[in-house]
Amino acid sequence: MIELNNVSKNFAATPAVSDFSLKIESGAFFVLVGPSGCGKSTVLRMINAMIVPDKGQIEVRGENIRAMEPEKLRRGIGYVIQSAGLFPHWTAADNILAVPRLLKWAPSKCAARLDALVALLRIDPALLKRYPRQLSGGQQQRIGVARALAAEPDIILMDEPFAALDPVSRVALQEELRGIHARSGKTIVFVTHDMDEGLRLATGMAVMNNGRLIQAGTPASILLAPADDFVRDFLGGEGLQLRLLDLVPVRKLMKVGKARSTGTIAAEASLKSAVNLMLARRCSSLGVEDESGARLGEIHLNDIVARRDAS
Amino acid sequence: MPKVHDRVLLALCSLGLAGVFFGGFLSCAPNRLATGVAYPLSNAPAPESGTVMIGLCGLALVSFARGRKFRSFATILAAALILWGSFAGAGHLAALLMQKGPPAARASPGPAFWTLASVAILAIVDAMQRGNFGFFARACIGAAFCAGFFLMAAAGDFDNLSLAREFLNNRGVFVTELLRHLGLVCAAIFFALLIGVPLTMLVLRKKAAAGFVFANLSILQTIPSIALFGVLITPMSKLSEELPFLRALGVDGTGPAPAVLALTLYSLLPLVRGFHTGFSEVAMEVKDAAAAIGFGRRRMFIEIELPLALPALVSGLRVVTIQAIGLASVAALIGAGGLGTFIFQGIGQYALDLVLVGALPVILLALLANLIFEMLLGLARRKL
Repeated sequence: MIELNNVSKNFAATPAVSDFSLKIESGAFFVLVGPSGCGKSTVLRMINAMIVPDKGQIEVRGENIRAMEPEKLRRGIGYVIQSAGLFPHWTAADNILAVPRLLKWAPSKCAARLDALVALLRIDPALLKRYPRQLSGGQQQRIGVARALAAEPDIILMDEPFAALDPVSRVALQEELRGIHARSGKTIVFVTHDMDEGLRLATGMAVMNNGRLIQAGTPASILLAPADDFVRDFLGGEGLQLRLLDLVPVRKLMKVGKARSTGTIAAEASLKSAVNLMLARRCSSLGVEDESGARLGEIHLNDIVARRDAS
Repeated sequence: MPKVHDRVLLALCSLGLAGVFFGGFLSCAPNRLATGVAYPLSNAPAPESGTVMIGLCGLALVSFARGRKFRSFATILAAALILWGSFAGAGHLAALLMQKGPPAARASPGPAFWTLASVAILAIVDAMQRGNFGFFARACIGAAFCAGFFLMAAAGDFDNLSLAREFLNNRGVFVTELLRHLGLVCAAIFFALLIGVPLTMLVLRKKAAAGFVFANLSILQTIPSIALFGVLITPMSKLSEELPFLRALGVDGTGPAPAVLALTLYSLLPLVRGFHTGFSEVAMEVKDAAAAIGFGRRRMFIEIELPLALPALVSGLRVVTIQAIGLASVAALIGAGGLGTFIFQGIGQYALDLVLVGALPVILLALLANLIFEMLLGLARRKL
């Protein structure tokens, strides 16, 4: 879907991105992580030609973007930034419909699309007539995401979209976004410096440092085999093992059979939640239930400690 | 002890009383040049002087009132009494004095009159501000006072005041000079826009040019106006001698051409600075987001940058217009005409009332321009 080949970009002699190659498959939720200033935003902005690379080639949907008109390319790619970047003199509804109107959609089609987006992102319709300054940060970002989705692009670029939100709005929007991705199969490229956020959302991931790609793969493969000390540190050093537990569902390690344990946990919950609950209850095993509440088996702390991750 | 709720009113009221007791209300001289005799307010007919005193006492009492809305309305009413009393009082006292005096006698308003009028106007402005009056209410109140003034003038209430006499003597010329004044201002703004808009674009595109442009415009701005008008005489007359087509257009060392040129030069700095600030203060992330979702350059300018910069653009134009209205008075010195003509004539003849015939309309024009731009600014800010 998106392919970068040996891309480099310098800003006034300082290299921002060096010899960067990456392939993002269609339908991926691809997260670019790295510390501030590592060049991840530059990579993102090169995909929609906001920044033109000095060297290398970028293909979007199999087409070299250098050969495309930048405005046309951008209208086909959703874009969300940290501060939402809403137009302050337009109402929320006008903001959402910015791209469909650029594409000269008929008013009836715009109205129908607006209704669909309001339902999809659970936007209170009363907010639509308000101006951005009358909205909270979370509401603004919801409008920002709706604007990116409005013209039904198959690719969406997001540059630290939730970094400025309070934890509650952030998690709510992350869940919303994950759901939208799962249902729509859109390709999302998501930049963040927050490893937890990256692990929660990503199907594919790339770790960057100093303008270079350090490691790419699935979140689990990166967690299990960090390429070097930098990645290990960035993954949280001592916290790494706990993070790994977050990736594995209880279902994988439970023992089928009768359970004597008093506490119970859902089969789809992560091992991290299971350990958490055991610590809270001062016990070393928990009963496992499915969604309907039927007892499936039991999970033991010993099995978690002794596990070998197969994922 | 009742509590004072509005100290401003009390202060204004004391100022008015001080004016009434220590300053002459009307000054009467046997002719234009002689020094006048001051007559206090108590010499004015009882109904008018009484009304003024009632109005002043009213202001004092209102300052103790608690309700904000009530205070605003009562203040405007009391101020209206003071205004009517002092205007009618001055007119009628002048009429009484003129009957007795010689034909060349002149009666002009004294310090007490001006103090009372300013106190009343300040009280009204303050009351509208505090009462949070909407634009429409303000316009209505303003219009009502103007209408009252013109009705009194039409009824001949002011005919015996020398200010009115000077105005009536010059009535024909007045309209011509007023139009000429407005013409100078409009021409200056037109040329300032013609030069200023491309200059703003240059300054916005090339950061390096900004320092150079602003430094030069600042130097222009610091030249005193009379000096600039004077300095332009020689090169402009040379130009008109050398180039006959310019002379055919009416360009000369004196007259409107150098005046418009000087006014244009003065307008450039505030205009370009205002426009520059307006556009550079459009948030970077908004422009970035617009570009990233596919706005082309022209679209971005028309739909994003222009509306967001509009308030600053209107503010810039307001500064320029008001400045040009004031400066255009000086243009009379180099024969460009305008309301300044009366001012300099009056100074030359030591006829202070004639000075006012020029100066008062300049002030009123500036206030009117300010009002119009306030309104436009309100429209431009509606959505921001």
